[in-house]
Amino acid sequence: MKKLVLALSAATLFAGAAQAQQVDQSLGNYEPVSGVSGNLTSIGSDTLNNLMTLWSEGFRGFYPNVAIQIQGAGSGTAPPALVEGTAQFGPMSRPMRGSEIEEFEARYGYEPTPIRGAIDALGVFVHRDNPIECLSLQEVDAIFSSTRAGGADAAITTWGEAGLTGEWADRPIAMYGRNSASGTYGYFREVALSGGDYSPEVREQPGSSTVIQGVASDINGIGYSGIGYATADVKAIQIRAEDGTCYAPEGEAAATGLYPLARFLYIYVNKDPNQDLEPLRAEFIRYVYSIQGQEDVVRAGFFPLVKMVAEQDLAAFGLAD
Amino acid sequence: MNDTANMSQADRAAQRQREVPASGGAGAAGVAAREAASTGGRRVRTYTADISAVGEPALWAFGGALALGIILIAGFLAMIAWNGFTTFWPKPIAQVELRDGTTIAGEPTRGGTYRPGESVLVQLNDQQRAEIAENLGFAERTLYKTANFDLYGDDFRWVSDFEVANVTYPTDMHLFQRQQWGDFVGRVAGLVIAGEEVPFDYDLMQREQSEARRRFNEIRNIERSEIGALNHYIERERLNIRRAELRHGAESARGAELIAQSRERIAEYQAQFADLQARVNDIRAIDRNYRVILEEVNGQTKDTELSQIVRFYPANDLTTLDKTGIYFSRWWEFVSTEPREANTQGGVLPAIFGTVAMTLLMVIFVAPFGVITALYLREYAKQGRITSIVRISVNNLAGVPSIVYGVFGLGFFAYAMGGTIDQLFYPEALPNPTFGKGGILWASLTLALLTVPVVIVASEEALAAVPRSMREGSLACGASKWQTIRYVVLPKAMPGIMTGMILAMARGAGEVAPLMLVGVVKLAPALPIDGFYPFIHLDRSFMHLGFHIFDVGFQSRNSEAGKPMVFVTTLLLLALIVTMNATAITVRNRLKRKYAGSQF
Repeated sequence: MKKLVLALSAATLFAGAAQAQQVDQSLGNYEPVSGVSGNLTSIGSDTLNNLMTLWSEGFRGFYPNVAIQIQGAGSGTAPPALVEGTAQFGPMSRPMRGSEIEEFEARYGYEPTPIRGAIDALGVFVHRDNPIECLSLQEVDAIFSSTRAGGADAAITTWGEAGLTGEWADRPIAMYGRNSASGTYGYFREVALSGGDYSPEVREQPGSSTVIQGVASDINGIGYSGIGYATADVKAIQIRAEDGTCYAPEGEAAATGLYPLARFLYIYVNKDPNQDLEPLRAEFIRYVYSIQGQEDVVRAGFFPLVKMVAEQDLAAFGLAD
Repeated sequence: MNDTANMSQADRAAQRQREVPASGGAGAAGVAAREAASTGGRRVRTYTADISAVGEPALWAFGGALALGIILIAGFLAMIAWNGFTTFWPKPIAQVELRDGTTIAGEPTRGGTYRPGESVLVQLNDQQRAEIAENLGFAERTLYKTANFDLYGDDFRWVSDFEVANVTYPTDMHLFQRQQWGDFVGRVAGLVIAGEEVPFDYDLMQREQSEARRRFNEIRNIERSEIGALNHYIERERLNIRRAELRHGAESARGAELIAQSRERIAEYQAQFADLQARVNDIRAIDRNYRVILEEVNGQTKDTELSQIVRFYPANDLTTLDKTGIYFSRWWEFVSTEPREANTQGGVLPAIFGTVAMTLLMVIFVAPFGVITALYLREYAKQGRITSIVRISVNNLAGVPSIVYGVFGLGFFAYAMGGTIDQLFYPEALPNPTFGKGGILWASLTLALLTVPVVIVASEEALAAVPRSMREGSLACGASKWQTIRYVVLPKAMPGIMTGMILAMARGAGEVAPLMLVGVVKLAPALPIDGFYPFIHLDRSFMHLGFHIFDVGFQSRNSEAGKPMVFVTTLLLLALIVTMNATAITVRNRLKRKYAGSQF
């Protein structure tokens, strides 16, 4: 019996056991229409950067001369770009803040409309040799935060305090995080740190991938990043939810929201409620919610949406069939 | 500490002096030797001069610093060249059977030593533990590129040596580079040609694959040039309608007439579009009858169209000649095609094009501005307080961080100037900005601003270096001041001015930070120059090799897979800058030769 358990855990340890996600086939294939052309610009989240690129590559497969330009310096760059009108799409890895919505409303008189394009499970990553398996959000807070709004009594500064023994007990924890323009930074602070402040010891990185590279090269490292950016050099640990069970950032748990750091990835659009969306943007949104669009989501390493979410969002744009 | 080191060096010099009298060597030894000679050479003088007066320690320091600099640069270049040049060389595919019964297949990419933790050790058997203990607790592991992201959900895997039961290199293992989903490592399980299943044959598949790629490119060609043109016209008519509405009002007779005309033309274009679409669909239908079934090492299969395979080869069954062929064909793909899979695969043609176009545009802006400023400052302006203030300001400009130029470019060029241009000339496209966003025009203007101090300083130096006798000679012959400048001073100073331009170009081509704000994007599918009126689209965003490096290295989904591309792209960027500089230097040398004989 014991041998079987060991064999199983060994298999998960070495094989990674990750399987490709299945796309909800009821979304339907994308059917191109004629007469779609023009320029699109997307400015915003760097987590969504690759996904936007894959979407636009796929979209251009149907509409060869649509030109789509993509910039991704962080979710914080999306609202000003939408307000200034320099971008038609503002991908964001967090919902817009009240102040950002107000600023938009002051200019246009209506709120920006979000679409939820994919699900991301924000992974907490450690070095591949780190034996830790599971942390609660409170422990994560005690590691990353200086204010410990999550309610932990003391800061966790060594891996021993996080529950490891042996040679790991005295190893200090090195934290890697994102810069403040990032939506991931904001989301993690909101959810994992309960709105508290980051410890000044956190090494802020300019990109999702740099966090992973930092953790990969630092045996004591821990960092948070979009699950799509994981490499073989890091390990995504499980997070203990309120109910006491540990959930890995994988398809099922992420899609159902059991994994505590699962979130939607948004694209904000400037849509006048009194006017129909012009064909270019409308078709792009339709593409995102097609089988092809959601396959791109899997290719980018995120989790695809179910039809229900797609229907809600399409209805908000008046695009439901 | 330093003093003692210096002293001992001086002592050593003196020592040498005693051993080899009057050797006449370089530096301090030479000085001492001459001194010895002047005293008649009868007795060898011991060295008594103060250490600060002797050049030799400084000489050693200078030489050492130079050597260190050369080593660093050479090492840096060697690292980039090594990593860059080896990336495209086909690597073998190992089939690894693990002791737990699973099998993986992949290219071994890199390895390393590590110390397995206790949690790993308890899961091993005694023999494995003994092996590790023998190695003082260390074990080796290898990172395999297993690819097949669509089946596995990852594309790299670490395998420790103690897990491995057997490694083989089967000759039927192929590497498939796919249009989508990245590489596939595995075997061919079945081949469908013209709807009929046929047994796998490498040459047949090779032939059919290149035929399928030809079809793929034909589709792409129709889509790009023919459908692309239609789309462009439809977009133009759509803007015409909008313009008619804005100018004449939709209700007015003139407005209604224009709108009706445009609508009619759009309908016409859409009919043509339907024809082309039908042609594309026909080819696609044929394409679907040519398929290949790929099988990964554990037997999972993937059915895909043959046209989706960009390249395939039996990685373990290649002669050196085959490998060389694949190597060069991958290089060609890299420099001549567009990127795929969010920039981690395929080529960098748009980035090369963007870099060169932006740099040339920058030179066009910076050259006249810089030279005219320098001419006025040096030749016409009264030298005094104001000119020195201007000079100091120019020099200070050279020290402003480049990102500040980026912010200025975005705020002033893109938002202020571009926004105004949009309102005046492109109101029909609003709220979508035409010039009111980053674009190649604003990017090259920003970089021109960034590099103009270099050009001004270099041009001023060059003008100052023209001998006074030449100007006076020219003036004495009756030439006016402008004629003197135009026909004597400028030609003579041209090589120096060119040097400034070369420096500016090198700086401009390698600069990335400000560009990220004023027009460089991750993916800009349309080049700034194409076949549609007005042919040069200065408002378009563009791709840049420098930004591409940053993007692939730090922003791509799989940074492991992106790493080799970073080196290749860096190599290419270096080569591009060297080429541009070499061209400029050749031009400068021709100028030098041309004017060498024209001195008085």
